[in-house]
Amino acid sequence: MQDHDRLSRRAVVLGLAAAAAPVRPSHAGGPALRFGLTPVFLSSDLELLDRLKAYLGQATGRTVELVTRRTYQEITTLLVSGELDAAWICGYPFVSFRDRLALVAVPVWRGRPLYQSYVICEAGREAAGLVDLRGDVHAFSDPDSNSGFLVTAAELAAMGERPETFFSRTLYTYGHRNIVRAVASGLAASGSVDGYVYEVLREVSPELVAPTRVVRASGWKPFPPVACPLAFEDTPGTTALREALLAMPKDEDGRAVLSMLRLDGFTVEPAGFFDPIAEAADAVRRLG
Amino acid sequence: MRISAGRALPLAVKIPLLVACLMVAVGVVASERVLARLQEAQERQLADLKDAYLDGLSSSLVDPVLRADPWEVFDILDRASGLYAAVRPLDTIVLDGAGKVLAASDPRRHPIGSDPPRGPAGAAVDDALVDEESGRAYAGRVLVVEGREVGSILVAIDAAPILEERRQVMWTLLVSNGAVTLGAAALGWFAVRRMVSPLNILNGRLERALDGRAEPIPDEDIAGANTETGRLFRSYNALARGLAERDALLAKAAEEERLASLGRLASGMAHEINNPLGGLFNALDTLKVHGEREDVRRSTIDLLDRGLRGIRDVVRSTLATWRADREPRAFRQADLDDLALLIRPEVARKAVDLEVAGRLEGEVPVDAIRLRQVLLNLALNACRAVPEGGAVRISLVADRDALAATVDDSGPGLPEEADRILAGTAGAGADRGGLGLAITSRMIRDLGGTVTAGRSPLGGASIRVTIPLRHRPDLEARDVA
Repeated sequence: MQDHDRLSRRAVVLGLAAAAAPVRPSHAGGPALRFGLTPVFLSSDLELLDRLKAYLGQATGRTVELVTRRTYQEITTLLVSGELDAAWICGYPFVSFRDRLALVAVPVWRGRPLYQSYVICEAGREAAGLVDLRGDVHAFSDPDSNSGFLVTAAELAAMGERPETFFSRTLYTYGHRNIVRAVASGLAASGSVDGYVYEVLREVSPELVAPTRVVRASGWKPFPPVACPLAFEDTPGTTALREALLAMPKDEDGRAVLSMLRLDGFTVEPAGFFDPIAEAADAVRRLG
Repeated sequence: MRISAGRALPLAVKIPLLVACLMVAVGVVASERVLARLQEAQERQLADLKDAYLDGLSSSLVDPVLRADPWEVFDILDRASGLYAAVRPLDTIVLDGAGKVLAASDPRRHPIGSDPPRGPAGAAVDDALVDEESGRAYAGRVLVVEGREVGSILVAIDAAPILEERRQVMWTLLVSNGAVTLGAAALGWFAVRRMVSPLNILNGRLERALDGRAEPIPDEDIAGANTETGRLFRSYNALARGLAERDALLAKAAEEERLASLGRLASGMAHEINNPLGGLFNALDTLKVHGEREDVRRSTIDLLDRGLRGIRDVVRSTLATWRADREPRAFRQADLDDLALLIRPEVARKAVDLEVAGRLEGEVPVDAIRLRQVLLNLALNACRAVPEGGAVRISLVADRDALAATVDDSGPGLPEEADRILAGTAGAGADRGGLGLAITSRMIRDLGGTVTAGRSPLGGASIRVTIPLRHRPDLEARDVA
């Protein structure tokens, strides 16, 4: 209900903005490029958002509007419904809506478009693997997150367990950073966290990460991609966005954004690149 | 001066003590009021802070509590601990509808799903409960949505700074009140000491005046012309001068009395000398006529000798009594004999039956001249008091410690006034007898003795003089002159 209000309000605002387009200061003609961001990365960093917005605007020649939401689901819904031109989403929602979404680009981290999922616990705790965490209060990032939910759930499914029964209680923090906070504060005994975010945090907020340790790191998984609605796959806007992302390492502003994100750049991968996530999702679904 | 023990504390102590007591009482009452007001203000402040904190929390917590979302609850609590730094929340616990912990600011102490703590920390009371021992205040708030209880917030607030402030205020009050009280007491002590110092001077003067040495206060000691002290000192000086004048008058009167008694005795003494003179002339005639007879000559010369000796005795004792340039010497039997000799004319005139009893062995260390005058005065008074043919008895006893002289008479007894004059409590009367008694009584006191009057077995008055003996070297081994 609330979201609907917000959406319709935004529709009105957009309509007004479109009507006022000639007097509105913008980089170029055409409607604004609406780019959605999930809490995959450190979305709270306002400077990062400003730099990203500036770079994309300059590189695409379009006015860029960055849209952030609390949950993956909200952004995914906006994207699938065409409210957004593109969004940086998680691999899990991407495979869930594969028939309605298309890939724009995949980030490259430490030379590969891959990352891991970590299960973390308190630094002093003795636990060798997931099995030692039975009965914990466990923090997941988001029910639609690959690294923050699906990887751990799939591993449990392989053991014939479900998160709700394996753990005494699960909770969602809607942010990987919050997983670290929840485990560090003791609210949760363990948590599933994005390995990329955890490594970046280790660098930028060592004091936050210090009370925690990695119990187990998963295998390498496809990095959360930038996707667009299937219908926009070959529009000039999407093409411009893809080129802007791929060209980031060549541009000074782009490099600044990449260095803040600790990414090397973007690459193009085939849609099948995300099949392992689809398999994991199927395994979990089968057990549920 | 005898003063009861309760009043023995001097004013310089009593008044500062009183001031200190009053200050302490005022301090205690004022401090109690200040502390009570402080506590009220602090509790109001605490309640305001707690309300602001709980109001803020409950509005943002209702949704996540309804959704049973521990992370968001924790996130809100975590952010609130920074936002509400003034409240100093130590521990905040949010309970779900079932009364279990949904999330707490310290999840390790209150894990998700655990039971809330017991005691004041676990009671969702609306008023802040201050636990002075732990320095914590506890409060709570029930989260209600559409009339239904969906959960509650419990908070432990750090009350230590408030309690510390209270303690500090109490100590400040205690120390400052103590200092003010001590200061006031010291000030009071100095002030009162200054105020009573003239009284102490006056007191010293009065005590000396009681010993018979009334001296005026020198002018430089009299402070202001118009102060109370100045007036008091001047009044005392007037009194001292009056006393000195009275003493001078009494001394003069004593001298006159001495001369008067000489006058009273003069005719008697003339008689004493004249009587033997007739016999002596007869003896001379006898010698002229029968001088060649050995036996007559011898007996006549004996007669002459006795007569001349009698005259010599009378003259000598008179001289001993009235000669002015005398040095003090001890009293002895000869003085007592002289006394009998001196009053013989008076005794003979009224045909009084006189008895002088007692014998002194050696010298008695009492100023002989004064004692002779005392005894002479008393004896003459007795002779005057008794009717023709009455009886007077003088007795004298001395031992190591005291000399006691008693003059009894068969007269009609002393008038009432005389008792008081003798005791020295009445002023000198106008009549001669009164003045004589007063002078006598004063002489006795000068000798350090006492005088009492009573009824005599002879029928009249009995006046007893007691003089304690202090061995005075200046009175020993001195000739009668």
